[in-house]
Amino acid sequence: MNNKIKSLVVAVLVALVGVFCHPSDVQAHGERAQMPQLRMRTVHWIDVKASTTKLAVNDIVKISGQFMPSEFWPHHVKSIENTAFLNVGVPGPSFVRLDSRVNGVPMIRSTSFRKGELYDFEITLKARKVGRYHVHTVINVEGAGPMIGPGLWIEVTGDNAKFTNTAKTLLGETIDLENYGFANVELWSAIWFAVGLAWFVYWLTKCPIVVPRFKRNQELGVDADQMITATDRRVGGIFLALALTLIVGGYVYAQERWPITTPLQTGKIDVPQVHHTDDTVTLKLIEARYRIPGRSFRLELEVSNHGSSPVTVGEFAAGNLRFINAKVLDVKPLDDHDLVASDALRVEGGPVAPGATQKVVLFADDAMWETERMTTMISSPDAVVAGLLHFYDANGKRYLVEFGGPMIPDFGMVKG
Amino acid sequence: MTMTNADKSAANAPQSQSYGLSSEIERRKAYVQADLLVIPLIILLFMGVFSFHFALLVGDWDYWVDWRDRRWWPLVTPLALTVLPGVFGFLLWDKLRLPLGGTLTILCLTLAAWVSRYLNFHLFAGFPMNFVWPSTYIALGLILDCLLLLTRSFFWTGLFGGFAFGLLIYPLNWAMLAAFQVPLELHGTMLTVADLMGYEYIRTAIPEYVRIIEESTLRTFGAAVTPLTAVFAGFLNILNYWFWLWIGYLGAKAIWIRKIV
Repeated sequence: MNNKIKSLVVAVLVALVGVFCHPSDVQAHGERAQMPQLRMRTVHWIDVKASTTKLAVNDIVKISGQFMPSEFWPHHVKSIENTAFLNVGVPGPSFVRLDSRVNGVPMIRSTSFRKGELYDFEITLKARKVGRYHVHTVINVEGAGPMIGPGLWIEVTGDNAKFTNTAKTLLGETIDLENYGFANVELWSAIWFAVGLAWFVYWLTKCPIVVPRFKRNQELGVDADQMITATDRRVGGIFLALALTLIVGGYVYAQERWPITTPLQTGKIDVPQVHHTDDTVTLKLIEARYRIPGRSFRLELEVSNHGSSPVTVGEFAAGNLRFINAKVLDVKPLDDHDLVASDALRVEGGPVAPGATQKVVLFADDAMWETERMTTMISSPDAVVAGLLHFYDANGKRYLVEFGGPMIPDFGMVKG
Repeated sequence: MTMTNADKSAANAPQSQSYGLSSEIERRKAYVQADLLVIPLIILLFMGVFSFHFALLVGDWDYWVDWRDRRWWPLVTPLALTVLPGVFGFLLWDKLRLPLGGTLTILCLTLAAWVSRYLNFHLFAGFPMNFVWPSTYIALGLILDCLLLLTRSFFWTGLFGGFAFGLLIYPLNWAMLAAFQVPLELHGTMLTVADLMGYEYIRTAIPEYVRIIEESTLRTFGAAVTPLTAVFAGFLNILNYWFWLWIGYLGAKAIWIRKIV
């Protein structure tokens, strides 16, 4: 029995340690849990990078890149063309966001993004807490939730206590956002707590109160108000006057101390178009098949090259997974969790000559389909997939073309 | 089955003697022990129940300083906050003649809120305390209790106290909140200090558009949004307080227990 109690105590202590110890090396936070269709058909992220992956508290890191809302956005998911917000996926405020821009427009407020359009973004963060964080770009879509971008490991060193974050008000006062106004909050909270406690203690001084007052109340019945003494009423009057005086006094004090205030600010802003549609390369999806036993995605496309230089596929990106054609590109993962398969894209039928339209077959074979839980795409209610193809011409110029359409799973049960 | 003489004498004896409490000192000691058991339990109950209730119905409006606007926060909060003071205020007055329901329940809520904000929001999640401090509502409960004590009437307490409860939330908290609504500029956009904190201290699951603030419009009345909301909240809260008193009245009758047993 004693051993059981000891084991229980140890288990509780271990659980408490788990709860109260702040995780400094935070692991991934659910990006794999999102449905594959949601990942493949919402937002395509391109060239997401960090200006540094190791910095000290108070140092700046910039996360930048591009994104493109999918033309194949699921009908059952609220559209990014309504209300959206560029965000960062980090465990708590381990960084503070000093700036975030899309096409150069500050993203302090919410906005909306057009499907099929390419956007540039840059987020400026200042390191606040020591730790190693998997920092994701995120676009929150109203009614649909977060659309999570690729994650980058960023390590913050130094001393949390040395973090500073100041701002200057329009009245010319420089404030420290880490503790601004809190002493005043503590003071008023303490005053009200003391007043409330004093009221409670006044009635506690009549202890014992529960049983005797209950019995007396029963005895007196409709005359139970006799239990209230004249002193009680006087004290009640004093506390009422005190409460009203403090409320009015506090309000007048605040009006004197901060005479100029504005209501909370909200609203939506527009983002102008920067990248215009480029139809140099167009394509038509003929067939998309996913072979489950081989973790192999096969795409059959009809590609038209309207440019002046032959083009070939260098990268196939879907759901933050990147499959690279090593014959065209040399891309290495940035860290252990960078979802890049450096030589996993096989292309048959390319390059496509200028003015030509020809069939191109892609094979994206890698265990990432399985490890990143993309194989559950066969559970989709509409079995539609989408992805982004990176075509490169002979000069290395890139053309981004999205594909999308129905996907047929291959369970490996049919021979031949 | 017949009663013996001994049984009859025991049944007719004073209640205290039947429990072996022969002296005044012993009786008092037992009553004090009952207080020591019941009062801490009630405090814990109020802390738990009110925290849960408040988190469900008010939640973000009280968690974050950039949610405390002049339209929704002063309207939603009194409607949710009146529930426990109404129900338990009735029970404590009706059964014990104690005008404590308002102050004690809100005192417990405040205590639980500070513990939660400090441990969960500040120490664990890492938000600065000046971004997540709980609003104060103790004065509202105190006004209800004092009015109940002075008028000894639920009707007048509801009429004046219920109204004051809704009316005074904003001015009561303005002493703490005003500092966070001072304007500043960020990248060509005017914000309040609270807005800036909401932008800078990243909340992955709370994008800007999630805030339910400053929605709808008042075509007239100029910029007098705050007093209008306060008066409207006050009127609404009169009915709200009476309603929850009635629920307390039903609870005190314990009809539901008799239906179960």
